Amino acid sequence: MADDTGKFGVGAGHLGIPNRRQFFQLGAGAAAGWTLSGNAFAQTERPTNPPDKPRGQVIAALSQEPTVFHPLMPGIEVDQGIWWQVFSPLWFIEPDGKFVPDLAREVPTIENGGLSADGLTWKIKLRSDVKWHDGTPFTAEDVKFSIELINNPDFRARSRVGHSLVKDIKIVAPDEIHWRMEAPYSPYMSILASLTFIVPKHILEKVSDPNSSPFHNAPVGTGPFSWGERVPGDHIQLNAYAGYHGKGPYLERVVFKYIPSLTVLYTQFRTGQVDYTGLQGILPNFVQEAKTLKGRKIFVSSTSSVEHIAPNLEFGPFADRAVREALYLGINKQAIIDALNYGLPTQTESFVPQQAWSFQQGLPQHKYDPAKANALLDAAGWVRGSGGVREKGGVKLEFTNSTTSGNAVREQTQQLLIQDWRAIGASMRVNNMPAAVIWGDFWQQSKFNSVIVGVNFMLGSDPDVTPRFGSGATPAKGGRGYNTYQYQSAEADRLLSEGAKQFDLAQRKVTYGELQKLIRNDLAILPLFQGFIAEGIKEGLQGFRPNINMSINSWNMREWYWA
Amino acid sequence: MATAVFSAAQPTPSQGAWRRFCRHRLALAGALVIMVLVLGAAFGPYLLPFDDTYIDILKRFAPPLSGAHILGTDELGRDVLARLMMGARVSLSIGFVAMVIATVVGIVVGAFAGFYGGVVGAVLMRLVDAVLCFPTIFLLLALAALTEPGFVTTTVLIAATAWMWVARVVEAQVRSLREREFAVAALAFGSSNLRIMFRELVPNAIAPIVVAATLNVAKAILLESYLSYLGYGVQPPAASLGNMLNNAQIYLTSAPWLAIAPGIVITLAVTSFNFLGDGLRDALDPRMNIP
Amino acid sequence: MARYVVNRLAQAIMLLVIVSAIGFALLHLAPGGPLSQFAASGQMTQEDLDRVTRQLGLDRPLPVQYLDWFGRMLKGDWGKSYRDGEAVLSVISSHLGATLELMATATITAVLLGCWIGILGALRRYSLFDSLATVGAMIALSIPTFWFGLVTIYVFSVKLGWLPAGNRHTIGDGSFLDLLHHLIAPAMVLALVETAMWGRFMRSSMLEVINQDYIRTARAKGMPEWRILTVHALRNALLPMITVAGLQFPTLLGGALVTETVFTWPGMGRLFLDSIGYRDYPVVMGILMFSAIMVLIGSLIADMLYAVVDPRIRVG
Repeated sequence: MADDTGKFGVGAGHLGIPNRRQFFQLGAGAAAGWTLSGNAFAQTERPTNPPDKPRGQVIAALSQEPTVFHPLMPGIEVDQGIWWQVFSPLWFIEPDGKFVPDLAREVPTIENGGLSADGLTWKIKLRSDVKWHDGTPFTAEDVKFSIELINNPDFRARSRVGHSLVKDIKIVAPDEIHWRMEAPYSPYMSILASLTFIVPKHILEKVSDPNSSPFHNAPVGTGPFSWGERVPGDHIQLNAYAGYHGKGPYLERVVFKYIPSLTVLYTQFRTGQVDYTGLQGILPNFVQEAKTLKGRKIFVSSTSSVEHIAPNLEFGPFADRAVREALYLGINKQAIIDALNYGLPTQTESFVPQQAWSFQQGLPQHKYDPAKANALLDAAGWVRGSGGVREKGGVKLEFTNSTTSGNAVREQTQQLLIQDWRAIGASMRVNNMPAAVIWGDFWQQSKFNSVIVGVNFMLGSDPDVTPRFGSGATPAKGGRGYNTYQYQSAEADRLLSEGAKQFDLAQRKVTYGELQKLIRNDLAILPLFQGFIAEGIKEGLQGFRPNINMSINSWNMREWYWA
Repeated sequence: MATAVFSAAQPTPSQGAWRRFCRHRLALAGALVIMVLVLGAAFGPYLLPFDDTYIDILKRFAPPLSGAHILGTDELGRDVLARLMMGARVSLSIGFVAMVIATVVGIVVGAFAGFYGGVVGAVLMRLVDAVLCFPTIFLLLALAALTEPGFVTTTVLIAATAWMWVARVVEAQVRSLREREFAVAALAFGSSNLRIMFRELVPNAIAPIVVAATLNVAKAILLESYLSYLGYGVQPPAASLGNMLNNAQIYLTSAPWLAIAPGIVITLAVTSFNFLGDGLRDALDPRMNIP
Repeated sequence: MARYVVNRLAQAIMLLVIVSAIGFALLHLAPGGPLSQFAASGQMTQEDLDRVTRQLGLDRPLPVQYLDWFGRMLKGDWGKSYRDGEAVLSVISSHLGATLELMATATITAVLLGCWIGILGALRRYSLFDSLATVGAMIALSIPTFWFGLVTIYVFSVKLGWLPAGNRHTIGDGSFLDLLHHLIAPAMVLALVETAMWGRFMRSSMLEVINQDYIRTARAKGMPEWRILTVHALRNALLPMITVAGLQFPTLLGGALVTETVFTWPGMGRLFLDSIGYRDYPVVMGILMFSAIMVLIGSLIADMLYAVVDPRIRVG
């Protein structure tokens, strides 16, 4: 399994031998590069002080049911929302992009000696005052166990990217652990920060099946809340952990309530049965009304995903760049943003979120210009045939578009596209599927014509998009990434490999800027807007801080309290 | 047990089925409503100045009677009335065709199983049982996942989940009737098995068949809406009553007419079919027509 | 009778094998898989996905997987959920209570109300009551359940504020009154269609019977009307209802599925839909087998009862 990351294309083999100091600037810098968007958080009223002892409860509604409580196994965002409360990582990323130590005493850097100059030796000092929810002290053994568990061939680990490079784990003291990396790999800082939670050795070493044990449904962690109860299909209750090593918790209880319908979820928020609408938040069409509700506050924050139309570049007409440009010109983006999404998202031209350090300003702006689109297609030899549909050399400008069925806004977008594109002689047909179908082979093996999808292109907080746009990353061609667009460009490959070898932030910014220009020019994707989520909380609930670096904004419930 | 059984309520055998049907005012009303719906679905769209798929994003959510759009516009500014008529066209077709397929399949399976009994009956009825064991939604989901969504597949899928009821009803009726004197008598007269099955026995089951068939129309139109609800069924931009209703869900509070209009048309259509079936049942009560 | 029961049991077991094979094949042949949901988020690479697929044994040929699953099931091991790692039987049983509560409430309401309406309607055919009941039943059967549920929420929860907008209970409040309060709306929605169906079947059945000549004969003999009704008519009219009851389970489950979705009721229907959505094969198969067994038991009992009470049906 040592080749996990190598084949994947972002690992050691690809990065080459990086050079030392800069590497660790990258580690810190990459995360620090995130800045906060203006609308990300705006607690208007001055927060009162948190209570001395945990008080009250919060009912957080989720539209998907959390079911995976072992934080190292495959899980979705709502599962991660639970993990953040029950477990702790070594360090985490603040909304402003800084790494903040959690189980570690300090974030390792070259300056503090936590990292060797060559980036291969990591020395982590741990807190010695941390106790598991069952009272057992947390030690370096737990960290070692967690990393080894991820690499255990019998364990269904979510991902081994980065972890598979870790060798020679040595426990120097109960509060200090060292290891060697097989190759330097800077994103590992971010991987450890965002989703690598430490699990208890004293419980898990005894289980016979690492994939299924009592722990999986009654996890024990070091997080601010300990496991309460789970009523499957209904809710999960977590209780304040008095022995928590960090700030908080200030709430006596948090309850994650599963409400499968977003309409019902909003209704319950409106009627006051729910204190916080977590994932997937409030539907755009309710936001206007929600803002007028008494005693409720609505936050609209950016996420790091980019909503776009994904063309399959190997599919007939889409192989022609002129077609892609004409289609892009033919999209009434403003209508999609202002009408269908109620003006909540911001339009974008890049795959990089606008809050990231690597975001390239000044990319060519999209314009809705059907006349130009028509002229472009005429010039490229696409002539109108029967029914007004263009064709060229026997290939008709006809294609299907797919998205997750049941996603109202995307389905409306599709219908708008049908009409907009009919005007330029392109015929689009809708072919939607449920999530379990569309994101399987259909998407992975590039069996689609075009898809509307929101994707977080970043690797942690790093703009290395080799798995998304590298020519060797197409699964349909035996690649290991998710370049399902089947994008191939020698220039992009060159920039990607160059960027991955650079460790100076300014240099990298230039390289990835060039890449963004190239992707925009090639129209490998037709970007629509940057992702967003509208969340509501009851007035008086303090401490909510959206965090674009996290996959869920309820990451810091330990700091929440009722005023 | 006697072969001919008489209705106590309408004791005059000379009255024709048609006259009895006409007495059933609800059935007449049902037939009338269906007629109006069918005519509206067939010709209505040509009378309107709006196309059912034409999007006018600036005029979205116009309430009913507020302008040129009689029933207002939907979330994309399309004319609701035009979509309603096109949707009714699609949904009624699906409902009717699926019902016919399901009834025919059900009658054939049920008649054979009931008449022959023994191994044939057991095998056929175990098949019916097996299919009945699947919750309808499971069957629909699994089958739909294997095919590409569309009008034909939706119709066939719905029929595939609806025929078993008819089969059960027919089988039970035929099984109990074939032992009775008139079937035995017919056999003695040398009638062929097929003839006895479909001329003598099945007509005796016409009342429950009609009840089941009417329920199946209701079921088919409703299943169409559930299929849309689960993301299959007729794909946008084409309208069906089901996908209109489904799309309207999230606007129930802000634009209730979007949900009310298709909801009422579905309810109206299905109710009418049920009344029609009820009337037919009274009218066609086969035991009154045995010469 | 004993031979008949043994015979039917053998048939039922054959049936389960067929059902399981069809279900297994349909489920696994359908596109998508339990890992699709992770593919979109980009947190797992193709390599990770392939590895977990292998670890779950999903890369083996389908017949091998089926035989493996079937063999384990015979030994009482129904497998473990891919989602939460719990044993399938315990996953089912943890959702069963909520569904039974809903189904039982709705069914009892529906049977009592439906039979009463049906009998009365048949006896007073074409009366105002009958007409209203008929019209009401028709409309009830014609309303899409999820739509009716949404309208109920809109009217009773949003506008009037009388009933909760969903859930089984208020968190932190385990009282019976609270449960009842939450139960009213979903049970009402589920019972609506059921009542209408029972009413319709009961009415048809009763009409059949009271028009039979033995009733006419009884009348002609001057037997008191109530005796005719209770001794002859009702007893015979209830016969076909046994079949209805036996076949009602999957319909009820389907109705519960939709009702549970609308009212966020944490039951089997919801579990089934989620498990299908996530392609949680062991749980979906488990629910399928569970409901198949329930249906078979239901129809077996119905047939046996039918055979007992209707001597015209020869058993064996």
